[in-house]
Amino acid sequence: MRSLNYVHRVSLDFTGTLFPHAICLGDADNDSLNELVVGDTNGKLLVYKNDDSKPWITRSCVGMLTCVGVGDVCNKGKNFVVAVGAEGWFHLFDLTAAAASKADSSSQHEFQSPDDQKPFFTQHIPANTKVILISDIDGDGRCELVVGYTDRVVRAFRWEEPSDSSDAGPGQLILLKKWLLEGQVDSLTVNPGPEGLPELMVSQPGCGYAILLCSWTQQDSSDSGDDAPATEGPSRDVVLHLTTGRIHNKNVSTHLIGSISKGSKEESSTCGLFALCTLDGTLKLMDSSEQLLWSVQVDHQLFALQKLDVTGDGREEVVACAWDGQTYIIDHNRTVVRFQFDENVNAFCAGQYTCKEGKNGPCLVYVSFNHKIYIYWKVELERMESTNLLRVLEEKPGFKSHLKMLGVGKYVGSSVIKLLIFTRSGYRRNSSLYIRM
Amino acid sequence: EEKPCASYPFVEDSFSRFPSQSNIYGLCQAGEQELLAATLKGKVVCFRYQELQQKIRPVAKEVQFTYIPVDAEIVSIDAFIKSPPKRGLVVGITFIKDSGDKATPFLNIYCDYEPGSEFNLESIAQSCLNLELQFTPFQLYHTEVQCAEGGSETVFLLSGHDQRIHLYKENASLHQFEEQPVERLFPELQQLPSNVLWMDILSIAGGRRLSVFGCQNGCVGLAVVSQTELEVLQSWRVQFDSPISTVLLFPLSFQTECTSRLSVSFSFPGVEMESYNLLVTSTIEMAVVYRDVQKHGLSQSTCLLESDQWDAVVCALVIDLDFDGQKEVLLGTYGQELLCYKFQPMGSGQNGQFQLQWRRSFKSPLLSLIYLDLTADGLQELAVLTLKGLHILQHSLTSTADLVLERLTQRVSALMASSEVESARAQHTEDNEAPAQKLECTLQTPLD
Repeated sequence: MRSLNYVHRVSLDFTGTLFPHAICLGDADNDSLNELVVGDTNGKLLVYKNDDSKPWITRSCVGMLTCVGVGDVCNKGKNFVVAVGAEGWFHLFDLTAAAASKADSSSQHEFQSPDDQKPFFTQHIPANTKVILISDIDGDGRCELVVGYTDRVVRAFRWEEPSDSSDAGPGQLILLKKWLLEGQVDSLTVNPGPEGLPELMVSQPGCGYAILLCSWTQQDSSDSGDDAPATEGPSRDVVLHLTTGRIHNKNVSTHLIGSISKGSKEESSTCGLFALCTLDGTLKLMDSSEQLLWSVQVDHQLFALQKLDVTGDGREEVVACAWDGQTYIIDHNRTVVRFQFDENVNAFCAGQYTCKEGKNGPCLVYVSFNHKIYIYWKVELERMESTNLLRVLEEKPGFKSHLKMLGVGKYVGSSVIKLLIFTRSGYRRNSSLYIRM
Repeated sequence: EEKPCASYPFVEDSFSRFPSQSNIYGLCQAGEQELLAATLKGKVVCFRYQELQQKIRPVAKEVQFTYIPVDAEIVSIDAFIKSPPKRGLVVGITFIKDSGDKATPFLNIYCDYEPGSEFNLESIAQSCLNLELQFTPFQLYHTEVQCAEGGSETVFLLSGHDQRIHLYKENASLHQFEEQPVERLFPELQQLPSNVLWMDILSIAGGRRLSVFGCQNGCVGLAVVSQTELEVLQSWRVQFDSPISTVLLFPLSFQTECTSRLSVSFSFPGVEMESYNLLVTSTIEMAVVYRDVQKHGLSQSTCLLESDQWDAVVCALVIDLDFDGQKEVLLGTYGQELLCYKFQPMGSGQNGQFQLQWRRSFKSPLLSLIYLDLTADGLQELAVLTLKGLHILQHSLTSTADLVLERLTQRVSALMASSEVESARAQHTEDNEAPAQKLECTLQTPLD
């Protein structure tokens, strides 16, 4: 298994403790460059920008923050930062305005009015939150907010603005549906189903997953009854899938990530790709027709699963991180690259972030137990597999034909390459090197 | 804290973590495409690229060298291929066996005489000559010497804490290595001022060699020796303020390939005369290059500015990294940095300078550097041994492939141009050149 070392990293100060889902990368201030958003157990929301070790913006929330997210949750065409506490307080922050005011008064940014620090909106939703997802789950082109709970419940909300514009409030979250699952929900994701429509998926213990049906889309015509969104019937709208293979510990914690980009090449199939990982070291890549693409077994406790295009070919690799810092990057062909982060990991995420180069690039983010967050910002690889120059050249158009013109046709050896690299034009004219071909 | 290194040409292809740390004498090339790395706790790892199912993949595998006890701590390792007409790979490992009461140093020399197994590492590792040493070993080095009866032979040189360098040479009749008096073949390596930490020997034109050693007390000794007469023609000494970590002799000119003492694979005959330079790194001071030592001895020095900024420089290498025909100096520091210096000629009369081109941080202190073609494609890789393991840095294949294609295109257009000129002449003369000769001819065609 190929393993390598990343060295380009920045360390950010972070004194708090956090829940594993209280960290994400996203464009918090709508400048098209991504920031790192972190929420701690004291209710502090921190937003880091570039390679600055101090937070760019901090905000106070109510309760212990268990999950943070960045997305167009209000469907206004711009991103908001969402922070949800365990006690059920939902906070919405508009950092675009904050960015503007911060830029205006960069010299005296400590003198912001307390109103600026306040959330744009707060609402109490059911408590015991664990994980959130901001995405279009029903295919209507508008984002929903999905919240996973520690009591095996998943709820979907939609932001609705008052129809009467004179109404005082900016809007509120309306509950769309509640699902009750058999096992703990560790991740929420959306993946294109066999017909290309988004499917809401949740992980289930033992390397399983469930597809949660958005019944409101069908209910529009049949019964638009009174309390339809809050139906308590759990199983009908939950389609449980247990993946086959090795006999799993049926209680093992499982993570899931969907909508893994396949790049431009395989656009023919509409099936979305998703990956699963378990704490006992199973990794799987599947598509929404339940076809297994690969399965990898490792002897590390995988607790976080992300996707990231590290080769820049448009195809996203699966990135899984273990508690001890071992990180696996696996492509669609099951080629593995390992990286060992040298500390135990409190939380992990991977994605696009603007660190030093003024543009988004793939990054790996590790939260340590030593009051530091490390962002590895130069994680691009030319390729996943080891290769050599001859193989690379043979794929290049013109290489063989040019050599043919020079009288070399059949076999290209390393000596020819050596000669071509080292003999620049204009010197070495007296060399009498003999090449065998 | 990271300086942007725009021209850093490498991409890390693999990293192998070692179970225990190594040291500055812990890495050597074994054969054409393999590396041996020794770790403190008696383990030797063989690193190479293996071709499997049309793919090449890095493989680091432990080799069980026999007669290394479990409580041994390896000090140094070296390997060479015997000078022709002899065949076979020879591996030398020095270690200290510490059984509690008394530490005993040993030199083990591994070499298989069975025809067919001379290059098989597994079988070489099983045939051992075990020599007890009377001194603590330091650097194990090899070099080629001219034999009295003609021909050449490769020998081991081992420096020790007894202020001496010891010579180990194969006894042809016994088929076995044995210690021989060093002054017999290396008159310049006797009566040393201190313990030698690093030595380097380079054969030069005219049947001569340059020998240099760097000592624990900061002394550097350089000598020009006639290889046939075994006579010291000239020698110089210079004193530094701190122990010498590396001495390295290298030619500097617009040559493409040097006839390196290590290069078993490839050497260009008929190279132009070039100046030999000496790089000296010490543990406290800046690294220094002595220019054209044959002409000026140790009088013309140039400092490598800032090279003392990242703790001690512990390893060095001089290679052409950007394929422009000009060699660059690479320094590895204990402060976890790899530094690259490029020579900037200043025009006639002036000496020129080495300027820091780029630097790259590692996760642990650097210990040793080797540049070799591990992937068998004509392009060499840089092996970097650090305290934690072995990094293989490969030239960015995308950009190197572009460079090759560019140079290939130049050749083709040069061929087109010259064939037009010579087409008239070619009609009269017979053209039955073999393709290989044709390429050779084309490649040698100077371009403007």
